[in-house]
Amino acid sequence: MHELKRLLDDRCGSLSWQEAEPALCGYSHTIWLEVERLRCLARVLADSGLVLEFITAVDRGHGLELVYFFSRPAAGWRLKVALRTAEGQPAPSICDIYPVANWQEREVFDMFGQRFDGHPDLKRILLPADADFHPLRHDFQAGEQHDGDHFDLERD
Amino acid sequence: MLRATLTDDTFYLNLGPQHPSTHGVLHLLLRLDGERIVECEPIIGYSHRGHEHMAQQRTLSQFLPNTGRMDYLAALMYNHAYCLAVERACGIAVPPRAEYIRVICAELNRIGSHLLWFGAYLLDLGGITPFLYAFDDREDLLAVLGEITGSRLTYNYCRFGGVARDLNQAFCDGLEAFIPKMRRRLADYHTLVSKNIIFINRTRGIGVVDADTALAAGFSGPCLRASGVDYDVRRAEPYSLYPELDFEIPTGQNGDCFDRFMVRLQEIEQSLRIVEQALERLPEGEVKAPAPQHPTPDPGDYLFTYESARGRVGIYLVSGGGRVPLRMKWQVPSFNNLSVLPSLLPGTLVADTIAILGSIDVVMPEIDR
Repeated sequence: MHELKRLLDDRCGSLSWQEAEPALCGYSHTIWLEVERLRCLARVLADSGLVLEFITAVDRGHGLELVYFFSRPAAGWRLKVALRTAEGQPAPSICDIYPVANWQEREVFDMFGQRFDGHPDLKRILLPADADFHPLRHDFQAGEQHDGDHFDLERD
Repeated sequence: MLRATLTDDTFYLNLGPQHPSTHGVLHLLLRLDGERIVECEPIIGYSHRGHEHMAQQRTLSQFLPNTGRMDYLAALMYNHAYCLAVERACGIAVPPRAEYIRVICAELNRIGSHLLWFGAYLLDLGGITPFLYAFDDREDLLAVLGEITGSRLTYNYCRFGGVARDLNQAFCDGLEAFIPKMRRRLADYHTLVSKNIIFINRTRGIGVVDADTALAAGFSGPCLRASGVDYDVRRAEPYSLYPELDFEIPTGQNGDCFDRFMVRLQEIEQSLRIVEQALERLPEGEVKAPAPQHPTPDPGDYLFTYESARGRVGIYLVSGGGRVPLRMKWQVPSFNNLSVLPSLLPGTLVADTIAILGSIDVVMPEIDR
């Protein structure tokens, strides 16, 4: 862990590590960082043999919080990387570094409308292609307008 | 994306969404050159019901029945995972007897899930007999579980702080008969299938995923272990009783369809061992501790990981301090496991697609949530 910390500081500039209680919240440290440094961090983590478990987002009503969980599977050690994006601000895609990010980023786009720069095929994954809403956003209200017949099922 | 490259001599095949060997409503759009696949695009989401959105609209207790409806073949395990996640976040204690009962049920559920997969996989490959054997065994198992859970598929048996009801005599008798029978049948399965030359030719060396690729693709569960990585959440981040139990983590070497098959069959044996040990040590006492009707975690985020039949389930709970969570993300194993298809399939035959897809053991309602 200390080695990883040193490596990250060397290559991505100093980062703020916050300790967490793994027995309660399931991860050991949190790193909050700016959007611009995500790719650098992902490269270092990939080179150090960490795997990306999943990407998700939390919408508290003032921009999105993107959350990435990386882990060293054999050690049961997990790192949470979080960043904030403003409304409409794209985040860099990391699916060239971690193939697993491809579908994960598509899901975040589908559910939250978050764009990822550099994603080869960023499109909806679970909802129909012609859906005009992102259901996990703070301001989304489920209602009749989103029932099945809203979608054109004959559409090519 | 695939449509844009349409030329006269390309052949497109829509495998699914209504095809029995897509194990639910999976749609694979295949671009073919003769019998060989050039490109594959999985299209998912047909059974998207918005469980994560539902979780943000109700209290943690109200969401409990939803958990069994994601991976319907591992409903008890999802129940168990969700209860453990909420109990850890809210500091709810569980009586030892209840935890033993949960582990017994979860492992029986794992056996049931693997049995259904075993039968369906062989059916995909053209063998009808193993399907009948597997469903016969699974029927016994469902009858046993039905004695205490009251259901056959979408179980809702675990509660915060314990389980819904205690074991009864019918359950114990049924289990006593099931375990030795299952062991005999496992030996039969190996004779019938694992040594069958037709089966070996269909699966050996097909759909090879090496360990590095598997890790980069986010594999977990039997698929990852078949590639030689001995990662199992029950060992890596032990929860519940698993640190006290004696069991092995079966792994493969080649990461092909055959290894994925063998790993699952060996896991049935390991699950039987776990059930036996848990039954032997089953303590007396309560099966349900008092718990708040609507548990409310302190503000913060909580990630709990669990080894389900298909791999690592991650429940990421973000609480704002209210009864209703701000966010509940379900990271499901099949989602990542399936996402490897576009890079794995090109160059293989259409018939191998069925063998590969089946060996990954996807459950579509789990992926679509």
